[in-house]
Amino acid sequence: MTDVQDRPVDVRDIAEIDMSVPAEGAYLSVLRTAAAGLAARLNFTLDDIEDLRIAVDEACSILLAQAIAGSRLTCAFHMTEDSVTVRASVRAASPRIPSRDGFSWTVLMALTSRVEFDVRPPDLLSIELSHQRPAVGPA
Amino acid sequence: MNTSAETIVESTPPIPPPARDLQPRRTARDYAAVRAMTKKAFTKLAQLDPEDPGRAEIREQLVRLHLPLAEHLARRFSNRGEPFDDLAQVGTIGLLKAVDRFEPERGVEFSTYATPTIVGEIKRHFRDRGWSIRVPRRLQEMRLELSTVTADLTQELSRSPTVTELAGRLQVDPDSVLEGLESANAYSTLSLDAPDTRDDFGGTMAEALRFDDDAFGHIEDRESLKPLLVKLAPRDRKILLLRFFHGMTQSQIAAEIGMSQMHVSRLLSRTLATLRQELLSD
Repeated sequence: MTDVQDRPVDVRDIAEIDMSVPAEGAYLSVLRTAAAGLAARLNFTLDDIEDLRIAVDEACSILLAQAIAGSRLTCAFHMTEDSVTVRASVRAASPRIPSRDGFSWTVLMALTSRVEFDVRPPDLLSIELSHQRPAVGPA
Repeated sequence: MNTSAETIVESTPPIPPPARDLQPRRTARDYAAVRAMTKKAFTKLAQLDPEDPGRAEIREQLVRLHLPLAEHLARRFSNRGEPFDDLAQVGTIGLLKAVDRFEPERGVEFSTYATPTIVGEIKRHFRDRGWSIRVPRRLQEMRLELSTVTADLTQELSRSPTVTELAGRLQVDPDSVLEGLESANAYSTLSLDAPDTRDDFGGTMAEALRFDDDAFGHIEDRESLKPLLVKLAPRDRKILLLRFFHGMTQSQIAAEIGMSQMHVSRLLSRTLATLRQELLSD
């Protein structure tokens, strides 16, 4: 991050951010960082910020395992006043939705408020995570 | 690190700084000579009484003989963000430990025995220092401050603080806090981390398996998961279970285990990455 002199951006005015990176593990840090930065600006607590960071990592890694080589991983962040929704998608040769009873799903459920996978034929595999900021007690 | 070897290992004679560029490379014949001298020195050492003042001299001789080994091993790690001189010094500490623990009657060459000890010491240094990539000092300091202030605020607020609250307490802008958090994530997430196999977290294999039955009963891939969990370091396993199966937050786990919340976060990420890699590779 650079020392920008601008006024801090109010993410609620932006509400939508789309990113697209090569579907390779090396680029996950870009998405993790974006997620953490956005959550921080919504005044999430450190616990929630770090949980979201890990959740994005986990979710995107699941997608990458199925992604067609050389394709792209797209990631859309949608912000409201007290939530971040991350929708990540890849193209997969034969998209498979992980089992709801699997370990990955359990992990994602523990880290976020909502997890949904979906497949749009023929080959688009997406995962949508929402993280709701819990009511923050009096500071 | 400026701590010299002799302050760490008591009653060790001064060890000259590594004169690495002055020493010509050793030839095969030199190695044979070193081996012979090493053997002789250890034989002599074994004959001396533990209290004999002559031991110190022989130890020093052994250390001098093998300094090039310690330096060679230190050099293998010298592109990872720590100054070579520090690594060489840490390697020398490992070498000293190896000299003290070596048992010649076991029939292995001293250098064979010393290598893992020296490498272990260097890796431990990285673990203690923690930085897997070069992070500017300013950010290292920010990370340390963040770690302290996070713990303080968590206690005061009875919940994890927000970035704004951290920035307020540290009197910096929120961007600097974010930058600090980012650098904290660069801290020790990568390869050098040999698994921490210490078992002082109450983690035993039996416990792992019991947890498995209690907590993972509903997990479909538990049979693939089980052997992976058993392989985890007890501390890592405990953190994983507390977060995902006991619903504790990262800060609660941090308090329970006695480490910073940021460290908990890093260890969780790393453990998940390990498990994912192995589960997906099935």
